[in-house]
Amino acid sequence: MATIIDNFFEAVSLNKDKPAVIQGSNALTYSELFVLSQKIAALLQYFKIKKGDRVAIVMENSPEYVAIYYGIIMAKGVVVALNNTAKKDDLEIWMSHAGASFIFADNIDLDADKNKRKVLIEYKNKKYKTIANLDEISEYDHLYQPMSFDENSLATIIYTSGTTGRPKGVMLSHRNLASNMASICKYLPIETNDRVLNVLPFYYSYGNSVLHTNLGRGATIILENRMIFPVKVIENIQNHKATAFYGVASTYAILLSRVKLKEYNLASIRYVTQAGGPMPPAHIEQIMEIMPNAKFFMMYGQTEATARLAYIPAEKIKEKLGSAGKAIPGVELEIRDRHGKKLPAGQEGEVYAKGENIMLGYWQNPEMTKSVLKDGWLRTGDIAKMDADGYLYMTGRRTDMIKSGANRISPKEIEEKLAELDGVEESAAVGIPDEIMGQVIKVFVVKKENSDISKQCILRHCKEKMAQYKIPKEIQFISHLPKTPSGKLQRFKLIDC
Amino acid sequence: MSVEQKIRSYILENFLFTNDESELNSEDSFLEKGVLDSTGILEVIYFLEDNFGIKVDDEEMVPENLDSVNNIVKFVAAKSQAA
Repeated sequence: MATIIDNFFEAVSLNKDKPAVIQGSNALTYSELFVLSQKIAALLQYFKIKKGDRVAIVMENSPEYVAIYYGIIMAKGVVVALNNTAKKDDLEIWMSHAGASFIFADNIDLDADKNKRKVLIEYKNKKYKTIANLDEISEYDHLYQPMSFDENSLATIIYTSGTTGRPKGVMLSHRNLASNMASICKYLPIETNDRVLNVLPFYYSYGNSVLHTNLGRGATIILENRMIFPVKVIENIQNHKATAFYGVASTYAILLSRVKLKEYNLASIRYVTQAGGPMPPAHIEQIMEIMPNAKFFMMYGQTEATARLAYIPAEKIKEKLGSAGKAIPGVELEIRDRHGKKLPAGQEGEVYAKGENIMLGYWQNPEMTKSVLKDGWLRTGDIAKMDADGYLYMTGRRTDMIKSGANRISPKEIEEKLAELDGVEESAAVGIPDEIMGQVIKVFVVKKENSDISKQCILRHCKEKMAQYKIPKEIQFISHLPKTPSGKLQRFKLIDC
Repeated sequence: MSVEQKIRSYILENFLFTNDESELNSEDSFLEKGVLDSTGILEVIYFLEDNFGIKVDDEEMVPENLDSVNNIVKFVAAKSQAA
């Protein structure tokens, strides 16, 4: 099976002078990207990286980010791409858990300088030491020693949440990545001539799949990290004559509500995709009306399945509106009851998935791995029905995870941080509906007796300790949290409060 | 209170949750400093419309107008003059 590196090398050989990644005036051709990736790999080899060493990336999307990702793999390291908007506390939980030896960062919290220059940091015993400045990488003359690849070896760890006690690091092998990317390329019409406008961060599985599928095909990826200024995104599509666009539900909600899309020429778009949670059918219809020539692909997946599990073929989008799709090539999907018995079409149960894209397990957490991987099948935790044609219709989740935009947030992450405050007795976080973001966070706080802690004080603490997307939009003080007689929090009772 | 002071106080209080002036320089990019997200930028626009009697059009929602206190001050001045 061709690994993402095999595909990348082939794309380089066929598309040497073509732009691979563009961001504003910063661009790298495939040849330049290859040379920079080699330099990154050589730099890591100079600093004695060993096979399987974990290397964190804490940077926003950029052409250099892509070179770093491929450079780490070329040096036989394991990529640990982390949310660059996270605060130092969360980053340290993930980096320590992963046992990262090196960090590529532009994050000033992590020893990068105030100009956000990209640096390589050696990470030992929670101590940071900057050992190279990537702006000066051309001055390093170490030569890359090519290495062979074992497709069963670990390629990347993707962290899906960050509670202190239970970091969930999804382990993906080269085979997992190769298999899922090959499946995606069978149903998405990705072509060498494509120019893809990407707003998705590469540290999540969706963005990760956009990166590898498009680079593997020799397409051009145009990066735009300013989704809070949606006009810029649309201007970039127009100016670059982008042919494809990928988003989550909130991406489309923002574009539809804040940009007069009909006033722009978006005729170059051949296809658009949506994944990462349900999208209102009305928004799908509006996008299809604005881009009548574009094929619309609805997709469903999980990080534990590398990225993708199901899709609706573009020609079925109207017929199957509201569905999460059918299994992608190479994946089997079943609905099972709580005893693990397969259910017939039309009955509600948990979605199970099988295929070469299913993760190796959770990093250093065999118990959690055992709870979701059985006989080669992944328990997704999603509750759904399947119709007679094999299309899934989601009806719920087994977990309390809050889904806001592209982010999945464990309520415990928020509650743990609030517990650090003196005036807080206990708290409970829930997701409440939001027109744009799908859900936003609301916390219910029980103050300690005689405490005069204010909402402002709580929010200030959140701002200092957590990434922006985890900061609650609403805080409500209550006298006590609803609990069962055994003391278990009844979170569902808070959702309608 | 000057326009700049009003905007600074609003951002400090509602997005940085502090009164400490040293937490925000007027030229700091909200995007780079992680001050605002997609819903936050809308709140800023509602604040500008409510407090300065201007209407922010969709196409004016660009970093040049809204990505720092200084940019907003210049934008509000230009809009007020045009009105």
